[in-house]
Amino acid sequence: MEEKKAKKRTSAKTLQTAREAGYFGKKMLANTRTAVEEGRPVAWSMVDWWLGVPICKAMGVEMVFPENWSAFCAASRTAEPNLEYSEMDGFPNTLCGYARNTLGYARKLKDNNYVIPPDSPGGGLPKPNFLLGCGAVCDARYKWFQAMGRYMDVPVWMLEFPQVGYKEYYLPGNKEKTIKFLVDELKAFVAFLENLLNKKLDMNKLSELVQIMFQTNKIAHEVDLLRKAVPSPMVSQDFWAVMTAHFYLADDLEAQAFYQRVYDEVKHRVDNKIGAIPNEKYRMLFAELPPWHTLGFFDEMAEKHGIAFVFESWNYHVPSPLTAEERHGISDPLELLARFSYHKFHEMAPVAREHDIDPIIFVAPYLNYVKEYRGDGLMGHPLLSCRPATYTLMHVRNLLMEKFKVPSVIVEGDIIDLRVFNEEEAYTKMDAFIETMDYHRELRKKAGLDW
Amino acid sequence: MSEKKGLARAAEIYAKSEQYARELKNQGKKIAGYYCCYVPLEMLAAVDYVPVRILGDMNENITSADTYLPTVMCFFYRSCLDLAMKGKYDYLDAFFGAHSCDGAERVSYVWRSYLKYACNFNIDIPHTVHPPAIEYFKNQLEAMKETIEEKTGQKISDERLAAAITLYNKQRGLVRELYALRKADPPPISGTEVLQVLVAIMYMPPEEGNALLAEILEEVKNRPVTAQKKPRLLITGCLIDNISFTKLIEDSGFNVVMDDTAIGSRSFGHDVAVTGDPLGSLAERYLDKIVCPRTFRETGKNRAEDLENRFGYLRKFVEDWKADGVYLNIIRNCDPHGYEIPELKYYFEEMVNVPVLAIEQDYSTASLEPLRTRFQAFAENIE
Repeated sequence: MEEKKAKKRTSAKTLQTAREAGYFGKKMLANTRTAVEEGRPVAWSMVDWWLGVPICKAMGVEMVFPENWSAFCAASRTAEPNLEYSEMDGFPNTLCGYARNTLGYARKLKDNNYVIPPDSPGGGLPKPNFLLGCGAVCDARYKWFQAMGRYMDVPVWMLEFPQVGYKEYYLPGNKEKTIKFLVDELKAFVAFLENLLNKKLDMNKLSELVQIMFQTNKIAHEVDLLRKAVPSPMVSQDFWAVMTAHFYLADDLEAQAFYQRVYDEVKHRVDNKIGAIPNEKYRMLFAELPPWHTLGFFDEMAEKHGIAFVFESWNYHVPSPLTAEERHGISDPLELLARFSYHKFHEMAPVAREHDIDPIIFVAPYLNYVKEYRGDGLMGHPLLSCRPATYTLMHVRNLLMEKFKVPSVIVEGDIIDLRVFNEEEAYTKMDAFIETMDYHRELRKKAGLDW
Repeated sequence: MSEKKGLARAAEIYAKSEQYARELKNQGKKIAGYYCCYVPLEMLAAVDYVPVRILGDMNENITSADTYLPTVMCFFYRSCLDLAMKGKYDYLDAFFGAHSCDGAERVSYVWRSYLKYACNFNIDIPHTVHPPAIEYFKNQLEAMKETIEEKTGQKISDERLAAAITLYNKQRGLVRELYALRKADPPPISGTEVLQVLVAIMYMPPEEGNALLAEILEEVKNRPVTAQKKPRLLITGCLIDNISFTKLIEDSGFNVVMDDTAIGSRSFGHDVAVTGDPLGSLAERYLDKIVCPRTFRETGKNRAEDLENRFGYLRKFVEDWKADGVYLNIIRNCDPHGYEIPELKYYFEEMVNVPVLAIEQDYSTASLEPLRTRFQAFAENIE
């Protein structure tokens, strides 16, 4: 019998910069541990789309993101013991995998008198001075951190993060009132930090970090624009590696310099018509969070079928820069942060309005991506334990087919829990999907669509 | 529908809620569907909509929703959309969604992407009760008001709003009076009957609902108590909207005496203050006074303070209704309640000394029966 080829777990990555990007995750973890040794404050934060983290940094707080660390645990297949710990403590196994991983770790940390257990992946997370939750996207974003009180016994702050439907977005005055709300909440957050840390926020320092963050994200956005090229110069495997730099460290000059190198490398490929994968035959989109533990799957698809995953994961991408008009006359860094984060979540309102669909988040962007990136198909990845990234996948699938005759394949799995990702089934589904993409290419041609 | 009175009428409307709503529609009433307990009904009633609470159906297999929603999500909201896509809510003239949780928010958006209404608004509900959050929520209500006015051509004057507030305050007061009767041991009304009453009035024009509540109060106060003394149970967590479930719990050895769910006390627990700023009062009541884990309460200085901020009101329910046990009901895939399980158990079992049973269930009557032995064992442990 022919011996079955062992599947690659990790992705090979096509960009040199992508291969170097792991440094930034390690840097964040190391910085927090050093901070604790030096008596400086540390916080665990949810991703907040750049709303509150720069403020913490300006206050001298080292930040670490359990979401990022949990993805690392998943990729290194070291999450299972933590998942079991959290389930032993009564957290349902239907909760967010990242959350369960961190809750299990937090319990171990507490049991070890807050000394990082020696076997902790990536060196582990030190005990924080506070926890920063966020109201964007998902209930887990604050319920998880509230639940962490069981182990950490430190204050939790919840950053408000409004998100509205497209009809409400266009109501007169709604946007400016919402921005005011965000700014008021950021002021309250600053007061919380000043009280906790017993020091004043240096607004000049914050302004400086905001400008760095804007510039890093501008470069990241330009990379996204380059990715429209055919053949695709950078695939999802690359993006998921490099995104740490803009998603978690956009206010870090080293990360910014790195992103400039990403831009240069991608630009070189575009200018010379070099594809990220050889023989690109199909261009696919991916929604929404990847199976971190099995990223080699995407390399296999490239090798076997010539599939380039050309764009992906709305939630990880930066929005376009704020326009000069939007920034005009605004010097308050808190307002700039509020406007930028709001922009991220509502930038696609015109697309939602054009098609009379909702929500703006997670759905409208794909109606844009599919045209801009000339997608032949969508791979939807419903996650056992991340419902917010899953709720609207069927809706996206319906809309892509209805509006653009672009088919989707649905492969169930999880961001972290190996037990629910059936690799064999995933390969079989993708094999069958090739014909479906071919068929719909013909349909799009007949319908006068230009890809 | 027949001319039954009191509890019998409530039971009939509960059992035939869709038929009842269609009859209202045939009488020329306009019907507004709404999600959860965060949509201010006063604003709907002020333009003569009959507000109808959108519920699922634990008896109905979910089939149509599979085209629009993944299986890995709240089974209740999947059921709601399933019914809508099967045409069971096609009598609605207006639809009001709410960001009460992720499931409610996303399904509100999916719903309105496929089903269009003359009047529609989705309320974004903040997650804190900070003063700016109350102000933001008030702004949302202002936008909702303007949308309703534009779409219906009717002005929601302060006077009309104040009248609707008075009407619903009366309703909330009557429900609380009914709940107060349950402090007796044994209670003169079962949890199953209470659920029938609450669902019924959520389908009725508020004046008629109030009249029915008044009848029921008289009936319950004056009827002989036939219930047996049994362990007294507080139900908290995800809503229960089907009496098959309450019957199973009560048949397993409990008297359900109090609840903390979105169909029960969260909907009726507090009045709207009568002030010169009705929108402000609505914002205060609907955001701050409703206590649900979807709203973040300040953690305070330490874990003990955090627990008291989150669960202190439940301790008071236990004390006032003399509950012997707490049932934490989790509809599978519910994050706001799912994250509460360990801390809520700790709070009651270690700090209040009251046992807790937490169950994740699939929002299906077909999957209820296996739970019976768990409730029986829980009741036996308390006795």
